[in-house]
Formats: sequence, C-alpha cells, structure tokens
Amino acid sequence: MRELTFVEAAREGLAEEMARDGRVFVVGEGIGARGGNFNTTLGLYELYGEERLRDTPISERGFTTLCTGAAATGSRPIVDFMFIDFLTDAFGDLFNQTAKLQWMSNGRLKMPIVLRGCIGVAPQFGAHHSGNYYPFFVHIPGFRVVVPTTPADAKGLLKTAIRCDDPVLFLEHKALLNLKGPVPDGEYLIPFGQATVARQGQHVTVVGIAYMVKEALRAAEQLAAEGISVEVIDPRTLAPLDMDTILASVHKTGRLLIVDEDYAPCGMAAEIAMQVMERGFDDLDAPVQRLNGAFIPAPYSDAFAPGLVPDAASIAAAIRQLLAE
Amino acid sequence: MAFKVTMPRLGWSMEVGTLAGWLKRDGDPVQAGEALFTVEGDKALQEVEALESGILRIPPDAPTPGQQLPVGALLAYIVQPGEPAPFEVAPSAQTAPESGHQQPAQLEGPASESVAGVPSERNRLPSISPRARRVASELGVEWRWLKGSGRSGRIVERDVRLAAERQAVPRVSPLARRLAGELGVDVAELAAQQPGKRVQRADVEAAARQPTREAPVGVVGIAGQVLPVSDIRRLIAQRMVESAHSTAAVTLTTDADASQLVALREQLKATLEPRGRLVPGYTEMLVRLTGLALQEHPLLNAFWANDEIIVADAIHIGVAVDTEAGLLAPVVRDVPHKSLEEIARELEALVEKARARRLAPEEMQGGTFTLTNLGMYGVDAFTPIINAPQSAILGVGRIFSRPWVRNGEVVACPIVALSLTFDHRVVDGGPAARFLNTVREFVEQPYLWLTR
Repeated sequence: MRELTFVEAAREGLAEEMARDGRVFVVGEGIGARGGNFNTTLGLYELYGEERLRDTPISERGFTTLCTGAAATGSRPIVDFMFIDFLTDAFGDLFNQTAKLQWMSNGRLKMPIVLRGCIGVAPQFGAHHSGNYYPFFVHIPGFRVVVPTTPADAKGLLKTAIRCDDPVLFLEHKALLNLKGPVPDGEYLIPFGQATVARQGQHVTVVGIAYMVKEALRAAEQLAAEGISVEVIDPRTLAPLDMDTILASVHKTGRLLIVDEDYAPCGMAAEIAMQVMERGFDDLDAPVQRLNGAFIPAPYSDAFAPGLVPDAASIAAAIRQLLAE
Repeated sequence: MAFKVTMPRLGWSMEVGTLAGWLKRDGDPVQAGEALFTVEGDKALQEVEALESGILRIPPDAPTPGQQLPVGALLAYIVQPGEPAPFEVAPSAQTAPESGHQQPAQLEGPASESVAGVPSERNRLPSISPRARRVASELGVEWRWLKGSGRSGRIVERDVRLAAERQAVPRVSPLARRLAGELGVDVAELAAQQPGKRVQRADVEAAARQPTREAPVGVVGIAGQVLPVSDIRRLIAQRMVESAHSTAAVTLTTDADASQLVALREQLKATLEPRGRLVPGYTEMLVRLTGLALQEHPLLNAFWANDEIIVADAIHIGVAVDTEAGLLAPVVRDVPHKSLEEIARELEALVEKARARRLAPEEMQGGTFTLTNLGMYGVDAFTPIINAPQSAILGVGRIFSRPWVRNGEVVACPIVALSLTFDHRVVDGGPAARFLNTVREFVEQPYLWLTR
C-alpha cells in the first residue's frame, strides 16, 4: 500500500471531492496560489483557480459567516483556518448561526460547511497557536467534530466531512501533519462515530485524543516489555462519539485512562468518564483516570515544553498507577 | 485487637450447635476466608470460615469437639501476630473471657468482634470496586471478608477471583479427606475431576465402590464388602437411635376410606390438567389435611425439651423423601396458611432439591411434625420412628382397593392405612387417637377442609 503523509492524504481526499462536486470550494488565508500554510491545498489552485480557492483577508468572522451564508444557499464551502485558534474570532456566528440555522429554518436550510484547521501543542507555537478547543464544539448541538490521527483516516474522514450536510470541525493535529502512513487506493469514506482499536490489550484501556493516540501507543509498546497489556482506542470523531467501542474495552479490562492534551476542566475525558460511569459502572475495577495538558496557556519558550502535555513516559507512569489502584 | 470466634447461627432456628472439630491449631496463622472449624449440622458437617486474618488462639478452657454449645458461645480468638490472647493477659487487666459453656458470649461492641458465620456489625465495610462486586456476585464470593489489594485497600477484581479460586480448588471436606485416606482414594484426582466443586463423602464413596476392590474382612470375622458409612447415613443412624432411646414411642394405626380422597384427586386432575395447572398429589393433600388436624390437636405439634412441653406456634410439616444419599425430610413451613397448590409447588421444589442434594440446612430444620408416605412401595401400616425432637409422625400406606363394609354390604373400596407414632411423654393414647381420628375424618370427608 502506498505511504502518504497526513497532509498529502487529506489533500488527496479534498482533490477527489472537489473534482466530484463543483459546489465545493475552499476559503482561507493563503490557501490560494500559495497552497496553504500547511500545504493543505497545494496544487489545487492550478486546477480550479480563484473561483474555488479564494484567499481571504485576516477576517475570520467575516469569511466564516460568509461561508455560512454560502452553505445555506446551496454551495459546499470549506473554511481553512490554518490554526484553529483563529476560528475563535468567528465563535459568535458559528454558535448562533452556523450551528442553528438548520433548526431555525425547520430544515429548509442545510449547512454543509467544513471548518478545518490545525490543533495542538508543538514546540514554540505559543499561546495563540497551540489550542485544541474541541470541547466547545462537542458541547453545542449541531456540530460534528473529527480528529483523525492517521493519513488513511484523514482522507476518509475528510471526504465524509465534505459530503456531510452538517457543519463539521475537521481538526488536524500539527504534530501529525508530516507523519507517513499507508493509504488505501481507490474510493473510500469513513463514517463518523466509529472508533478504532489502535492496539489490542487486556489490562487497561487507554483512550487517546488526536495526537495523544500516538504517544499512548508508544507507552503501550514500552509497557508490553513489562508484561502490561494496554488497549489503545482512537475515537477518530468526538461528535458523534463511539462510546460502544470504549465501553466494550472497559468491559474487558476494567480500567480506563483517557489521555487528552487539551485542558482537563469540562474536557473530553470528563465526558467520556461520565458516560462510562453511566453505562459501564459495574465494569470498573478502579476509578477512571485522565491525563491532560497543563492548565495554562501554552508557553512559547522551549524550556517549558517538557511536561506541558502528556507524553509516552507520563502515560506509562499513569498506567502503572492505574493498575495499582 | 483480638477477635472472638464464636458458635455461628447456621440456620434460622438454630439455638445450639455441636463443635465437630478444629481445622486449625492453636497458634496457626489464619487468613480471612479459610475454613477454621466444623459444626455438626443436620445432615452434614458445616465448615465455618474465619472472618479475620491473624493467629488463632484457642483458650485452654475452650469448648472441646463434641460439645453442644449455644449459638454465640466463645470458641477461640484471632489475634494479630505478636499480640497476646485475652486469656494470657493478667485477669485484673481485662474482663475474663467467657467460658462459653453456660452463657452465650456477649457481643462487646461493633468493631471488636467477629462472629464467625454471621456478618459482624463493623463500622465500615471495606471498599470494593463496582466490577469486583459484580464478579463477586457472579462467582458467589462473599467479598465482605476479603482484604483488598487496591491502593486504598479497595477490593478489586483480582482479589475476588483469587478468593473464588481458593474456594474452588482444594475444597475437600474433612470427612471426605479422612474417608479417602481410609479407603485409599486419591482426593486430588477426584478434585480435578470436578473443578470448582467440593469433594464430599459421596464422591469418595463412589470412587471407592469399584468392582476390583478387595473385600476386607470385617471386625466380626465375617467376610463381605465394607460399605463406607456416608455422613448422612451416620447422622440418620445417630438420630434414629436417639429417637428410639429417648422417646416413649407408641404407634396407633387405622384404616381410612379413601374413596372421597381419590375422587377429589380425579376431579382436580380433570379440571386442572387441561388448564396446565399443577395437579396436587396425595402427599400434598395429606400435608394439608394433617396441618388442619394439627390445628385442632396442638399437643401433637409439640416438643419435649428439658422437662417442659413446648407447643409450637406454627405448623411446619417435614415430608420424608427417599434419596440416594439417604432419608431426608425437607420442611414445608406454615402449612395451614398455604393453599394446596402452594404446598404442591413447594414440595415439588423441595423434593427435587433433596434428590439433587441441594437442600439448604434451613430447609431441613424447624419441622414440628413429619409425614412419611410409603404407599408407593406397597406398604400398609408400619411403625415410623419419630423425627426428634418432634413428638409425633404420621405414616401413610398405599391406597388400594380392598373389601370394605358399607351400609352392611361388602364393597370394593380404596383404603389407606394411617400409622401414627407419638411420644407418650408428651401426649397420651387418648389425645393421640383423637388426632388420628380427625386425620381419618379429613381423609374420608375432604369437603371438611373447606370449613377449617
């Protein structure tokens, strides 16, 4: 199977969907001739030009709401925020218009808009360029939230996102962009709400969010040498969230650790833990544990990088603690 | 902290128990959950588990095996390593331990006592994870006495599974072990054949009963196959002898005209069977009518105990059941307040359990009267032995057609022989005969049941 980077795979999916449906167009800063700050649209401008790859000024609220209107009137916009942190400028209209127009129009208006951007902590990106923010969207009725971790998943999920008639947050962790992985040939889509078991195990279940799946897998590899068998689950989409896979795993192992580099309060770990409590209480052999990023705006200086977000070592330590519970 | 080990209440009506033997010695370390001593039950020796972990200390004046003791009597202590037992401390320093003979041990306070076999009133139950609790109930593990390996002392799944394994694996009852030794049976092999189940005498006997076994010469010099005496057999033997020697048993017999009873049964069968409802049989009918008769003759529902006659408040009738293991008498409780159908249903379940040797001790205890039906074996009148400590037992023979005189004419009539053995210490022939007469009346005129 051919190997592509995360960015290449996603771009391939985008290219296929743009070719398939002429109503799909992309809007964002530098996504035109420049091909995107992260090469998200590299090569497409040559094919489709200004009509479908529209550079914008630095005005997220403006162009996001503009695309909301475009989506409501029959086209299929993709808003490429580059850094998802910039999307926060458009929160107001996103939450009040984009999320609600379908309901408020009694279904007459559709909202086939994809809101994509990079998330997550990486060295020296600083407080304005390291955000995750997915709990905000998971919390609002109407949004789909997608966090792929492999190139194959990126392509399949982006295609589904583009064909979806609801607003989709397509969140790509910066640390994954250049990771290579196998991508199947041919047309395929990955439905929302389907987690994968990235690694099978017996003793403990670890749910990783976005890039944390990779770190959890590294921790699992380390612990396998100590005789500890870790099951790692990649939810792939946070809304809808595949709780059945997580619950089946907890039923097997009895212990759950959720690793999320985003902040702890009201985060995905809290949500998952609560749902496990609601539906799988009698399967728990120990309290559900979570490991989150430090509850501070991401510092710029590299000196603060260690310990800012979970890594394989801290995940392994947390798993050992959880097994002793 | 020294925990008291006391005689447990193993059945709801148990007042006294006989300490059969210790499974651990003075000074042995014990783990909570390990079998500590045995108590003689109705039909079996019951193993009682330690509720605490520590060192077993048996006082020098402790009750000895074979002694009958009141429930709650002090048997021993479990202390922590290094801790002196209460009977080793100078008497002035603490209250003297109860001798346990005449007075039941007083419950001191919630945290200081662990009454074997009965959940102690602790201030705090240990914590347990939801999963472990679920697994405990699946595997039938009593988790309250486990020590948790979780960080906060929480009982987790692995603790429960370990306890289950301990319960499952080398469970051989002391009698089975001894018997196996005598008969040369490999207990470990037997245990392996039935994983999770306790090896009991019956299993050892079955294994010993091999055709290739040589017949050892008996004590009296008579050659023959020595049958191992099962625990049930031993107990039956003991109680029969007890009953024969302690009661002043007299048997009265009478023949009753069973034609109405037979007709009733036919009618019930004809009506209920097509509706898929349970058809009561003769035994349950006899249980019911005996219960009604006992209401009118309470002296037959009484006990002789220590120079007193105790007339029981309720009527619980034991029904003799012939099983492979021996004679068992499960009890149908509170007969007068149950309908014929309820009695039939209950009896059906009890008999099945008896045959499967799954009767709980409580199901065999507390009877105030016993019914024994040998009719299916073609027996008429016989002399049943009283089921001590009751004071009467009613034997029922077969229902079959015999020549009978009715209105001066000889007719063929279904007749049933009723044999009442009663304890003459408790009741005289007259009252006993009147009771038997009432029973006969109820057999001959079942419509009378409706008025009682």
